Amino acid sequence: MTTLAEARDGAGPDAAGVLDAVRRTVLLLANEAGARPELVRVSVGDVAVEISFGAVPPVPAAVPTADPSVGSVVPTPQTPARAALTSPAVGVFYRAPEPDAAPFVAVGDTVTEGQQIGIVEAMKLMIPVHAERAGRIAEELVADGAPVEYGEPLFALDGG
Amino acid sequence: MFGTVLVANRGEIALRVARTCRELGIRVAAVHSTVDRESAVVRYADETVQIGPGPARRSYLDYAAVLAAAERVGADAIHPGYGFLSEDPSFAEACEAAGFTFIGPPPKVIAALGDKTAARALMAAAGLPLLPGEPVDDVTRAAAVAGGVGYPVIIKAAAGGGGRGMRVVQCAADLADAYLRTRAEAQALFGDDRVYVERFLPNGRHVEIQVLADAHGNAVHLGERDCSVQRRHQKLIEETPAPGVPRDVVARMGEASVRGALAAGYVGAGTFEFLLDDAGDFFFLEVNCRIQVEHPVTEAVTGLDLVAEQLRIAAGEPLGLTQADVAPRGVAIECRVNAEDPARDFAPAPGRLDAFTVPGGPFVRVDTHAYPGYRVPSAYDSLLAKLIVWAPDRDTAIARGRRALADFRVDGPGVHTTAGFLRDVLADASFRAGTHDTGLVARLQSQPETQEDS
Repeated sequence: MTTLAEARDGAGPDAAGVLDAVRRTVLLLANEAGARPELVRVSVGDVAVEISFGAVPPVPAAVPTADPSVGSVVPTPQTPARAALTSPAVGVFYRAPEPDAAPFVAVGDTVTEGQQIGIVEAMKLMIPVHAERAGRIAEELVADGAPVEYGEPLFALDGG
Repeated sequence: MFGTVLVANRGEIALRVARTCRELGIRVAAVHSTVDRESAVVRYADETVQIGPGPARRSYLDYAAVLAAAERVGADAIHPGYGFLSEDPSFAEACEAAGFTFIGPPPKVIAALGDKTAARALMAAAGLPLLPGEPVDDVTRAAAVAGGVGYPVIIKAAAGGGGRGMRVVQCAADLADAYLRTRAEAQALFGDDRVYVERFLPNGRHVEIQVLADAHGNAVHLGERDCSVQRRHQKLIEETPAPGVPRDVVARMGEASVRGALAAGYVGAGTFEFLLDDAGDFFFLEVNCRIQVEHPVTEAVTGLDLVAEQLRIAAGEPLGLTQADVAPRGVAIECRVNAEDPARDFAPAPGRLDAFTVPGGPFVRVDTHAYPGYRVPSAYDSLLAKLIVWAPDRDTAIARGRRALADFRVDGPGVHTTAGFLRDVLADASFRAGTHDTGLVARLQSQPETQEDS
């Protein structure tokens, strides 16, 4: 993001500066293959550019209990006893792509690994939520439009 | 004053900031990674948000996650602590754009002072003395500049800081290799391979000046901190006043720092770092645009709460004191107790703390996030606790520091700390005499046995 600051430093945003910032940002992201920039919003002056790299494999080991560095820590109350699909980011959780659209998944649905199960909005970034594992949705744990933390369980799974 | 402040940091500084917020009646919210979910500040804060996994890049350094957390808790302001996002002008700008007050200098000031080349030019214009040197962009030019200022020289990353991205060169034969390595390192560490060459003072004293500046054009300095006890440019012990430095020299450094702060348009708490030579000449090094690890040393002798000052300044209040009101009293020494093993060249030695008891007694302050049962994570820096002692005179402060270090009880499988080594430093003859320089730790490390007197 340093590139944006540099582009902003001049007397004002100009087309060349904006393009250069975008170009460098895209290059930076492309170099970081394996990271997960599903969607990036670049804002220089009055110009905003959104970049989406399309479907990216979900990040593994996002289930809190799978974190090896906290092995002996007492689980927090939010840690589920059964398998769960968790939030990849802090933000507001949405179950459907649009306010009146059908939800991505519902109780009883079978999901496959990598399937989109919701959206987390963080500072106007729409971050797709993908299932980290396959299974059948047993319970919705978070209401549509509710704030979520990183790693917060969204759906309980049967057979996960 | 703010209603809610989000602390965008971890460890002892997150807890230290949270405590002052509470004293000021500010609701305090903390962010944490999955690794830190049982941390002290998480237990302390009014509200917490888990923002990402262990790696800082996806938690404490993630703009969107921190800003989303600020939005979620209804924060008015974000305190970045030190390290992480504290001196990132783009983050400061993103905070303002999202409607949160960034507790620190304006983004443009952070950007200007964070670039050492720009900062040098700015301070030279404000009349601050600089070591001879200049930016270089090829090896021929580097050799020419080094020859001009005279060896030894130090090559530094323009975007560097915190003791990283710099290399001392003793003679011309080593210059080309050092130049290329420093550039590569600067690119890897800071994404910016610009470097400059400067004369190196091998036995210089590292003395810094704390300043406070408000948004209304007022600035004061709060005296100095001597940070000459360093290991590989990382500070281990800091103290004030700087032993053996004439008060008129300190006064001139303070005046220069205030002049520099005003010239830069500085707002907030900041530190001007200087190198001091034997002749009492001082040279500007850099400005740190953040609260510093060693700020309690200044608090101990001035009676001021620097985090409270930061919060008031960020809220737009004018400084509540003038230079005449600043009257430091006594001597304060800070020792950084790190989870490191001095016997293995200070390798990080994290792990679970079965026992953790901190010293107490008169004029002893311990800032720590650790507690019995705490697991020192390997994912972050190794600072475990800061011991700050105060006394009317330096000899008493040193004795108090040695006593307090001995009173630490830290135990756990694989866990080591620097407490014992720091006791040896405090016992060292040159340290006691106040004649030590930045080479002290290297000399102590080369001694096979540590001293074991009481």
